[in-house]
Amino acid sequence: MSAGAARSRQQGGVNERLLQAVAEQMKLPLLQIARRAELAHLSGDHSLIEGIELTADSALRLLDNYLLSTKLARVDGSLQLEPVSIAAVMNDTAHQLSRLADQYECELELHLSGRYAPVMAHRAGLEAALASLGYVFIEAQSTRPRKRRPTIKLAAHRSKNGIVAGMFADIEGLSMDMYRRGRGLYGHAKQPLTQLVSTSGAGVFVADSLLQSMATRLRLAHHQKLSGLAATFTPSNQLSLVR
Amino acid sequence: MANVLLVEPDILLGKTYMAALEIAGHQVQWRRTAQTAIRSVDAKSPDLIILELQLAMHNGIEFLYEFRSYNDWQTVPVIVLSHVQPALRAVSPMLWEQLHVVAYHYKPLTKLNDIIRSVDRVLALAI
Repeated sequence: MSAGAARSRQQGGVNERLLQAVAEQMKLPLLQIARRAELAHLSGDHSLIEGIELTADSALRLLDNYLLSTKLARVDGSLQLEPVSIAAVMNDTAHQLSRLADQYECELELHLSGRYAPVMAHRAGLEAALASLGYVFIEAQSTRPRKRRPTIKLAAHRSKNGIVAGMFADIEGLSMDMYRRGRGLYGHAKQPLTQLVSTSGAGVFVADSLLQSMATRLRLAHHQKLSGLAATFTPSNQLSLVR
Repeated sequence: MANVLLVEPDILLGKTYMAALEIAGHQVQWRRTAQTAIRSVDAKSPDLIILELQLAMHNGIEFLYEFRSYNDWQTVPVIVLSHVQPALRAVSPMLWEQLHVVAYHYKPLTKLNDIIRSVDRVLALAI
């Protein structure tokens, strides 16, 4: 078998596992929609409809993000990256996730420490990756027992290797070992990130797939006193004209 | 009216199941994790438990083993309402009996009315 054919076969296996994880994940919003619609009929409470619409929108976005990840993974050779304003992407992502966070009774905070030069990325891919990751963190935080609304941070900071951007929260048990094990299990196990979420956590693997197309990967990272999953981006060498 | 403990990790589903059971006239305590469910049982013993097996951190089977290890809670009936398909159950049917699991529902195919009917049936048998 040629190297190209072997690579293509390996990519096919990864796509199949990702599809399994996404299909498993999609059961949750569909179930939420079905049962809440049933409850709306039972109780006559039509205010539930607004929540149903939001759930459907979020599920559609996750599907779109998955489709984008497969499209970017199919690009022959390396993906054409461009200078992207990370602050602008993170602002858009926070806006996209804010209603979902509210529905799941979490606080979503955007935290950018300072101003950043543009990074080399694929704009739509970066936004899809951060949003996919955000869904999982919102779900993870809502599952945990709490006394008050938990906070999730969509944050960026500088490191010696570049600009680190990702999702951070106060989640016990989030470790590189857990994430590595999850990466080995997704698509085969129903709940590969046991310590994080009760579902397939597909958003994490969709995000990782999107980031891999941009020549970076999700890793365990820390921001202030919080743990999270984030990727490191190389600053663009061009002048910082994009903000 | 019965005192039902619902162990459901998802906030939207938890609220939905709780509302449906309350409409059916039951009193519901809803917990999202195995640990908080055990603490809750300790404070107020339920008449029946509805349990998801797929929980974050400790799973539903771990909860069942711990729960059944206390003498006071040997006979409280448990209805499993789970994303895990019945064919994929990680425990043998005989062990389900030992753990006093009285009904098993596959969540995606179980409507709210099915849950309410199942709860009523189990409570009628328990009397």
